[in-house]
Amino acid sequence: MSPVAVWTRRYGAMIRNAWLVDLQYRASIVLWVLWGVTEPVIALGIWWAIAGDGAVGGYARDDFARYFFGVMLVNALTIAWDSWQLDRWIREGDLNYRLARPLNPLHESLADNLAYKVRGAGTILVVWLAAASVWPAVRLPFDPTRWAWVALAVALAAAMRFFISYTTGLLAFWTTRATAIMELHAGVGMFLAGRVAPLALLPPVVASVAQLLWFPYMLAFPVELLTGASLTSDKLLRGFAGQIVWLVIWIAAYRLAWRRGLQRYGAVGG
Amino acid sequence: MAAAIAAQQLSKDFRVKVRDPGLRGAVAALFRPRYRTVRAVRAVSFEIAPGEIVAFLGPNGAGKTTTLKMLAGLLYPSAGSTRVAGFDPWTGGSEFKRRIALVLGNRQQLVWDLPALETFQLNRAIYDIPRLDFQARVEELSDLLGLADVLDKPVRQLSLGERMKCELAAALLHRPPILFLDEPTLGLDVSAQDAIRRFLSAYRDRYGATILLTSHYMQDVTALASRVLIINRGRLLYDGALEALVARIARTKRLELVLGDGVTEQRLAVFGTVKSFRAPNAVLEVPRAEAAATSARLLAALPVVDLSIEDPPIEDVIRQAFAAGGEAEE
Repeated sequence: MSPVAVWTRRYGAMIRNAWLVDLQYRASIVLWVLWGVTEPVIALGIWWAIAGDGAVGGYARDDFARYFFGVMLVNALTIAWDSWQLDRWIREGDLNYRLARPLNPLHESLADNLAYKVRGAGTILVVWLAAASVWPAVRLPFDPTRWAWVALAVALAAAMRFFISYTTGLLAFWTTRATAIMELHAGVGMFLAGRVAPLALLPPVVASVAQLLWFPYMLAFPVELLTGASLTSDKLLRGFAGQIVWLVIWIAAYRLAWRRGLQRYGAVGG
Repeated sequence: MAAAIAAQQLSKDFRVKVRDPGLRGAVAALFRPRYRTVRAVRAVSFEIAPGEIVAFLGPNGAGKTTTLKMLAGLLYPSAGSTRVAGFDPWTGGSEFKRRIALVLGNRQQLVWDLPALETFQLNRAIYDIPRLDFQARVEELSDLLGLADVLDKPVRQLSLGERMKCELAAALLHRPPILFLDEPTLGLDVSAQDAIRRFLSAYRDRYGATILLTSHYMQDVTALASRVLIINRGRLLYDGALEALVARIARTKRLELVLGDGVTEQRLAVFGTVKSFRAPNAVLEVPRAEAAATSARLLAALPVVDLSIEDPPIEDVIRQAFAAGGEAEE
C-alpha cells in the first residue's frame, strides 16, 4: 500500500476513535463550546460599552463585533490542548505502550487535535451563521482571495499552536509543572495574541513587545485577515513571514525536546 | 542460531532528587537540590534463544521492569548494549517496533470508553495489517482467549480478567515474534490467570514467539518458563532452569507424611526437623542428600500410611535466592 494510503487510514482510524469517545461525553462538548463562545462575547460586551456611538482606536461597535466573532472562529480552528494530554501520558506512564508502537505519539495528538477542532469549529460556525442571519455587522463579504489567505494563515497558526502546546507538554519529562507553564502561556496570550482586545488597542510598549514574539501570529494576524479592511502586500508579507519563522522555531524546539526528553525519560515504575 | 534477545553489560542509572521531610526540607530542596544516583540495573548480561519463554523474577524495585523497558526501546541504557530481533531497540525505529509487543499489567492501551474491537481497528491501521489477515487474527485470538462475547462491550464494563485478555489480543494482532510482558496476570483470579498462561503457551507453540515475562505469581513461572532470570538490586543473581535453582539453593527436602496411630512429635523429631505436626499429618525437613535414606528408615521404624518427598515451596527457594543476593550486596 502507498504511504499516502497508510497514513490516511491511520489518521482516519485515530480521528474516528476520538469522535467515538467524544460521543460518550456529550455534556462536556457543550461545556467546551460554551467556553469557546463566552470569552469573546464577554470581551465584545466590554468593548461595545466602551465604544458607545464613537470609535476606540479606529474600532466602532460593528468592527468590534466582527473582530470578536473572528476571534471565536479562528480560536476554535487553531486551539491546542495537547500539552495536558502529553503531560498526563508522561507522568502517569501512558507514554510507555505508545513508545512501543511503530507510530510517533505526536500523530495521535495531532489526530485528536484535528478531531476536536472539526467538532468545536463546526459548532462555532453554526453559532456564527445563526448570528449573521439576524445581525448584518458580523457578516463577511464574499471574497475568495481573502478567504484563501485566511485559510493559509489559519493553517499556519494552527500548526504553530499545536507545536507550542506539544513542546510545552514535553517539558513533563523534566518538570511536574508543564501544564502550569502552559497556563502561563495562555494567560500572556490573552493579551498579546489579541484575545481580549485587538492589538491596535494595546499600549504601544506592549504592542511592540508582542510583535517580537509569536503571539500575534497565533490569533490576531489571521483574525485581522478575516475581518480587517485592507490586504496590503506589506501586511501579508510580514504576517506570513512571522508565522513561518515562528513555526520553524517551534518545530525545532519540539525536535530538540523530544530527543532530549526521551533520553531522559524515567518511565514510571521500576 | 542468533539470540532473539541479548543484553550485554546492560546498566541503567536514575538520578533522583533527595529531599528532607517537612516544609524546611521542601524549601531547601528548592534552592539547593541534592541528587542521588540509583543504580537500577547493573551490568546485566543474558541471551534468550528464539522460541524460549523466560521468567524474570525479583522483588519490587529489583530492576525487572527497567530492564524490560530498555529491551523494548523505551529507556535509554546508561551503559551496555542490547540486541532484540536483530535490532538495537533504541535506534531500531518502526521496523523494530513491528517485531515486538509490550504488555504492561498496570497500564492499558485499550480505549477505556470504547469496545476493545475499536482499539483492534486502530492497531490494524497503525501496524498496517491487511483486512483479511486482521479478521482471521481477531477470530483466532478471540477463540484462544474466549473473547467472543466480550469484544463489542465498552472496555470499562469488562472484568479485569477480560480486559487483560483483550489487552493481550490487541498487543498480538500484528503477530510479533517477541513479547515483553510485565505482570500479565497481576490481580487476576485463578481461572483467568490459568487461561492467560494456556494462551501464552499456545501462542509460543504456534508462532515460535520468544517471551520474556515478569511475574510475582510462581505458577506463571512453573507453568510457562523453562528458564528463570533472578534479579535483585539491579544485579543478575541467577540464570538457568528452575529445577537447577532449587537443587542449588534448597539444601533440604520436605517429607510429607500421613502417620498411623501412636506416633508422637518427639518420635518423629529423631529423623529431622518437624516443620508441622497435626496428626495424622506431619511435615519433616531433612538434608537434601539424606532424603531417600531417611525415608527408608522412617518407613521401617514408624507406622506410615503415606509419604512423599517434595522440594520446599518454590516461593521459599526464590526468597532464599533473593536473600543470598542481598547478603552478597552488603
